[in-house]
Amino acid sequence: MSFIDSLMAGLSLVASVEAFLALFVGIVIGVIGGAIPGLSATMAVALTLPFTFSMQPITGILLLLGVYKGGIFGGCIPAILIKTPGTPASSATILDGHPMAERGEAGRALGMALWASCTADLVSNLALILFAGWLASFALNFGPPEFFALILFSLTIIAGVSGDSLLRGALSALLGLLLATVGLDLVYGTNRFTFGDPNMMGGLNFIAVLIGLFAIPEIIAMAWNPTAHLGKARALGNAKVTIKDYIASFRSILRGSLIGVFLGSIPGIGAAPSAFLSYSEARRKSKNKANFGKGEIEGVAASEAGNNGVAGATLIPLLALGVPGDVITAIIIGAFMVHGLQPGPMMFILNVDIIYGLFIGLIVSSVFLFIVGSVAIKGFRFVADVPKRILMPAVLILCIYGVFAVNNNIFDVGVMFAMGWVGYVMMRYRIPAAPFLIAFILGPLLEDNFRQSMLMSGSDPSILLRGPITWFFWAMTLLTIAAIGRAIMRKQAV
Amino acid sequence: MSPKTIQFQLGLGACLAAAFLVLWAIPNWVSSPSNVSNIVLAPVFWPYALSGITGLVGLGLLLAARGASPVPDAEAEPAADDGLSWVRLSALAVIMVATMFALPRLGMVWTAMIVFVLTAFLFRTRHPITALICAVVIPLALYLFFAKVAGVAIPQGIFVRLP
Repeated sequence: MSFIDSLMAGLSLVASVEAFLALFVGIVIGVIGGAIPGLSATMAVALTLPFTFSMQPITGILLLLGVYKGGIFGGCIPAILIKTPGTPASSATILDGHPMAERGEAGRALGMALWASCTADLVSNLALILFAGWLASFALNFGPPEFFALILFSLTIIAGVSGDSLLRGALSALLGLLLATVGLDLVYGTNRFTFGDPNMMGGLNFIAVLIGLFAIPEIIAMAWNPTAHLGKARALGNAKVTIKDYIASFRSILRGSLIGVFLGSIPGIGAAPSAFLSYSEARRKSKNKANFGKGEIEGVAASEAGNNGVAGATLIPLLALGVPGDVITAIIIGAFMVHGLQPGPMMFILNVDIIYGLFIGLIVSSVFLFIVGSVAIKGFRFVADVPKRILMPAVLILCIYGVFAVNNNIFDVGVMFAMGWVGYVMMRYRIPAAPFLIAFILGPLLEDNFRQSMLMSGSDPSILLRGPITWFFWAMTLLTIAAIGRAIMRKQAV
Repeated sequence: MSPKTIQFQLGLGACLAAAFLVLWAIPNWVSSPSNVSNIVLAPVFWPYALSGITGLVGLGLLLAARGASPVPDAEAEPAADDGLSWVRLSALAVIMVATMFALPRLGMVWTAMIVFVLTAFLFRTRHPITALICAVVIPLALYLFFAKVAGVAIPQGIFVRLP
């Protein structure tokens, strides 16, 4: 199929009011979800997932992508106005955004955040379109040993960079891998940790685990301290962002977008490190570096470009390799699975219309984000006024309905509650949840590829090092461990 | 909790969990056919391998605890302002367990209404009237979406059935 044919196939799939409406509504939900501290883009995507079950695959996935993109931008609103990031990715925005708000320039900071976000989003989407197909065609050469090495590399990097400790990240990933062994064995069909319960034989439901891990701990945390969220919102002020501001910050926006694209395309790194790297690079290169941290608009632009640059790029490993780039794309993979789609190189052959439909939708999403974001900035005071002690019970009810709807099974609701407590304990012990979830998703794939490799080679482990692709991923895994180990040693030495 | 305490408790927990898995859980709860010629392909191999690595990570955490700071990190731990945090946590756990019992008996909509009210008041809401209105409206709205639009068979319970 030629590029034009693929594009036309995608257009025929996505050119409907329903699909674009889903995308638009998704962005609205995402911006609101991201703007409510404690709700976060991740939780917004997780809570929207059950509503996509009855939709067409492309419509449902576009809805979730809209929530993702809206959520990443929405997180900057409370970061600037109440010094509380709506999502972890917006933490860097606080550094200059809130000082600007204190000076009465919140409207200007939010305007720049929106312009930088939309620019970075567009750059990121273009990178996805350019590189995903190329990477997928390359990945068609992968066999089980290559996939095993790739997944191991992804898990190593996710475990290493998700929290502040490699060992805690590794523990989280191991717990996720262990939980993924529950159910019938992939080859022999024998029971593993099923306790004779038929509900356990298919393994634990992925959506119950993810909602339990990311939504329920926030509800439990509210029971621990119901008043922890209270803060004071700043007024928008009269100052507005101008074209001159945008042009002055354009280099930082572009640099931040490219940093976002690069880091986003490596599975596991995510938006927060990208925002901080983009911010520190902007400060290093800026003429106003002394002003950074005191309310420099270029700092807001750089951090927002850094985190939004990731949003499209995280879909590169997801679509091309079937490996989620961050925790939100790990949730979005659930929507693919529910609709019987398996992201990965074969999807570029079997479902090319969906791939190109997504590309078209993503390009349009940047425009929608600009429209929704402009309104959201003005409407934040209404979002900020939503009483969180009413919101959290509503989230709990939504979780119960949503998780039940996956399989019409009350057992899944119990799994969600149990995982909620696991997630809360992990939160208290500062164990990152992202490696757990991604390992839980990739666990069966990792084991399956390992066992297939062993079957191919007659149990000769040297097959795991059979060629340049596996050497590359093993080398990257070792390099990652060495780099993280070195960083820890340096931190301890300081 | 200080980073030292966290690392130590986690390390100890990981070692104990690994020992429990290797010595009790895997031999008893993972079945493997007797005719598997190669241990690497057996259903027990992967759980054993993961448990072993968990034990090693646990040892690593115990070692790391020696060099970690003993000073409690105030920012990382949310403060309980009224001394009732544990009571509320226990109450929320009870609500969750009760929800599992109530769902098949009362039905999802009625259970959700009760759960909403209980949790809102557990969180000491300052908007009791809004909470009561939301407790009725939100479960009904979700019922309408999931039952009538998405075609999900929402549990109706044995007492009052909705159309």
